[in-house]
Amino acid sequence: MSMAQHAEPAVTTPPAPGRKETDGRTSRRSPALRVLARPEVGVFLGAVAVFVFFLVTAPPVRDGSSMANVLYQSSTIGIMALPVALLMIGGEFDLSAGVAVIASALTASMLSYQLTMNVWVGVVVALIVSLGIGAFNGWMLVRTGLPSFLVTLGTFLILQGVNLAVTKLVTGNVATDDISDMDGFGRARKVFASSFDVGGVQVKITVVWWLVFAAIATWVLLRTKYGNWIFAVGGNKESARAVGVPVTFTKISLFMLVGFGAWFVGMHQLFTFNTVQSGEGVGQELIYIAAAVIGGCLLTGGYGSAIGPVFGAFMFGMVQQGIVYAGWNPDWFKAFLGVMLLGAVLINLWVQRTATRR
Amino acid sequence: MDSSSPSRSRRIAPVVAMAAAVALTLAGCSSSSGGKKSEEGAGEASAGKATTPRMTVALVTHQSPGDTFWDIVRKGAEAAAAKDNVKLIYSADPNAGNQANLVQNAIDQKVDGIAVTLAKPDALKDVISKAKAANIPVVGLNSGVSEWKNLGLLQFFGQDETVAGEALGNRLNSEGAKKVACVIQEQGNIGLTQRCDGVKKTFSGTTETLYVNGTDMPSVKSTITAKLKQDSAIDHIVTLGAPYALTAVQSVAEAGSKAKIATFDLNKNLTGAISQGTIQFAVDQQPYLQGYLAIDSLWLYENNGNYMGGGEQPVLTGPAFVDKSNVDAVAAYAAKGTR
Amino acid sequence: MTNDHSGTHGAVLADIPPADADRPLVELRNAGKSYGNIRALHGVDLTVRPGKVACVLGDNGAGKSTLIKIVSGLHQHTEGEFLVDGEPVRFSTPREALDRGIATVYQDLATVPLMPVWRNFFLGSEITKGPWPVRRLDIETMKRTADEELRNMGIVLDDLEQPIGTLSGGQRQCVAIARAVHFGARVLILDEPTAALGVKQSGVVLKYIAAARDRGLGVIFITHNPHHAYMVGDHFSVLRLGTMELSADRDQVSLEELTNHMAGGTELTALKHELAQVRGVDVERLPDGRDLTAPVAEPGEEKA
Repeated sequence: MSMAQHAEPAVTTPPAPGRKETDGRTSRRSPALRVLARPEVGVFLGAVAVFVFFLVTAPPVRDGSSMANVLYQSSTIGIMALPVALLMIGGEFDLSAGVAVIASALTASMLSYQLTMNVWVGVVVALIVSLGIGAFNGWMLVRTGLPSFLVTLGTFLILQGVNLAVTKLVTGNVATDDISDMDGFGRARKVFASSFDVGGVQVKITVVWWLVFAAIATWVLLRTKYGNWIFAVGGNKESARAVGVPVTFTKISLFMLVGFGAWFVGMHQLFTFNTVQSGEGVGQELIYIAAAVIGGCLLTGGYGSAIGPVFGAFMFGMVQQGIVYAGWNPDWFKAFLGVMLLGAVLINLWVQRTATRR
Repeated sequence: MDSSSPSRSRRIAPVVAMAAAVALTLAGCSSSSGGKKSEEGAGEASAGKATTPRMTVALVTHQSPGDTFWDIVRKGAEAAAAKDNVKLIYSADPNAGNQANLVQNAIDQKVDGIAVTLAKPDALKDVISKAKAANIPVVGLNSGVSEWKNLGLLQFFGQDETVAGEALGNRLNSEGAKKVACVIQEQGNIGLTQRCDGVKKTFSGTTETLYVNGTDMPSVKSTITAKLKQDSAIDHIVTLGAPYALTAVQSVAEAGSKAKIATFDLNKNLTGAISQGTIQFAVDQQPYLQGYLAIDSLWLYENNGNYMGGGEQPVLTGPAFVDKSNVDAVAAYAAKGTR
Repeated sequence: MTNDHSGTHGAVLADIPPADADRPLVELRNAGKSYGNIRALHGVDLTVRPGKVACVLGDNGAGKSTLIKIVSGLHQHTEGEFLVDGEPVRFSTPREALDRGIATVYQDLATVPLMPVWRNFFLGSEITKGPWPVRRLDIETMKRTADEELRNMGIVLDDLEQPIGTLSGGQRQCVAIARAVHFGARVLILDEPTAALGVKQSGVVLKYIAAARDRGLGVIFITHNPHHAYMVGDHFSVLRLGTMELSADRDQVSLEELTNHMAGGTELTALKHELAQVRGVDVERLPDGRDLTAPVAEPGEEKA
């Protein structure tokens, strides 16, 4: 068919082609405000505020190695906050993310130790187990249609119990045995838990991984088909399905991404501390979710970024360590933490409001 | 079109994983050092078994899931139960109200004796009097050294946390410490707070409290590092649990600090650290003994009417110091998870 | 359809040999659908030919939605036959229907409100470039294409990055139709496209339906407004309680008859009677066929 016929209705269309400012509702927004409306700008300003605050009030923070310490703490939260944020943009929660980290570390540790195998065997099997847990979460979700809150709460409880029971069953204790003298440990530690020198400051490799993962996640989210699908399944699942987005695949793979993150952080913990306490990890899932939300991801899905949670995790790490660096009365620690986070979130909110009010 | 391939690969994944694991094992992927193989050879100590009639005893603690310490208590209790022909029912809940319910549950089961920890004595008062009304003997263990008599328990096995802290404080004085950071892994826990308070009482230098998030090891590590950075005068770190002491070793190295580490409680890896000298000493309250004696005492009471501690005094299981001089004697038992 | 990276107009249309130009694209023969023991649709015949608009009319609950769901691949029929290009099919996902050139524009518009206009336009059929590990969205091409297509619809947006949720209902509808047409749909299913629109915007949508028809697409136009249907329709099917009440070509039925069928013929008479009793409404002045002759002439102009 020819273009001429196609163009025909345009000529006679009542809203005449041309600059009609009243069309739509968002036509007049200055470029500056449009930048402010980005999901990560508010948290960026919040993070800067927290950073400057502690720079002023806590002298030890000015030291390079202190910064490395803050970044390390942020990275262990941040690596998990990334997939959790993507999942949240995709419209789902994962309450099992905290204990899944420990489940992965336990798997690798016990498998290698009990079968006396090279630790890399444990690392690979742990990856498969972690991806499997994620796939199970996703599969249950799409199969049952239950809210992810319920499905992953179930997995959270199951994993908590399994972590403990299996560890007890296999090792006779509630913590795993030390694997630091086994084959492959040194190399695995290099990958997951080493540090390197930057101008006399020891920087943890997790910081590098964190930023690399954040860059990849940002690229995937904004520049690939898959990223488009993540926004779509979180924004309007039914519409996404109707226009041909593979909703099931997207959801399940997002849960598997969380599994991947859990595996990575789990491996870091294993190769840093040599052993794993089976009861750990409980409550961490909320910190990951908090970092994602502070990072500008909408709790209801469909909106957010990958770079926002990076600042969210940084803010969390900065506040947590900053209070110690400042030497404040530790009895008030949790209260300070809460106030600082709330303050940062309010800055974030204020920026968002200012930006969208035009 | 994109949805079919991932689902197929998911189905294949476990099979591939199994095949890979098997292949790797066959290909000689086994570790030449460490692991289970090097551990094997350590036998289990076994004693004879009493011929007294079978009795049932409930052990109800305030353990939070996955705590190494309580695992050792439980092992002691199990050893005593096996020897005394006792059927042991173990239950635990960190929430005091729930713990009281578990004691009630034991009463309903008409057990022959109850051993209970008194982390929050007030919450357990009612249910303990119910047990007494039902003629079930009750003994206390671990926490509650100052309350057990008021509640009318038969006997008590444990460590006075404050006394243990005081002992550690004295020890720090003799080591010449000037400034100590006391690391609490669970804010608001009475026993942990008492330990630090005890240290503060006898220690002649300055004591600072540091709260860390006990469920997240990387965070524990960063926070101790941060504290050492913030206050370079700290020359000793006191942790209140073995895993945290081992993490503190890494923090000290990272902060470039010269601080030494002392801790409450023991575990297998900690004995290694003590013999290598990375950790100075540990205050052991002998959790195995607490569990063992609690069950054994109920058996003795049932079969011979005995009271340990004469029914007046608590039986103190700690503080026992483990340092370089005696660590070798303890290490073998710690490796088995009983010290 | 995603493989069709070029995404040019009528790419799929070119696949049809000219000889088959009048062959039905989509055909339902005595088709029906039951949900458990509830029979939502029964004994429906529908034929969609290229360059023709098949209107499906019916009141709420008449089974229109079920009909669309079968054709668009969301649900499967449980009775009768569903043919595409003469061969029986059974779609399990909307993707399969799309791959056969059947595109649906839903009542709720099938857009993701928080996503930018251009991302919505290409959602599910993104244009990519580069080899696999770095295969990425061709944002420039997509934005340019979306802008061109929307300009052809008479919508000019300052910023294609603005969330589609900020557009008006008519604009969103046009984006959705432009999207379906752009992706070379051979059959366009429009689910109540004018239901939520004002008079002016309805006009825009109707013109675009006519334009799609003239480009050789088969259109299934679902509506409960007989006036809108009669402006563009070539064939009219009226559904009532899940079955076909009327199936007639344009030359076999007048707007008045159509309106009567929609309102339920005798039921309408009864309703007029009731209204007259209640408040003395002047029933002679209620709309009927004669008042509507003027708009009926419009499609004739369009065709010319």
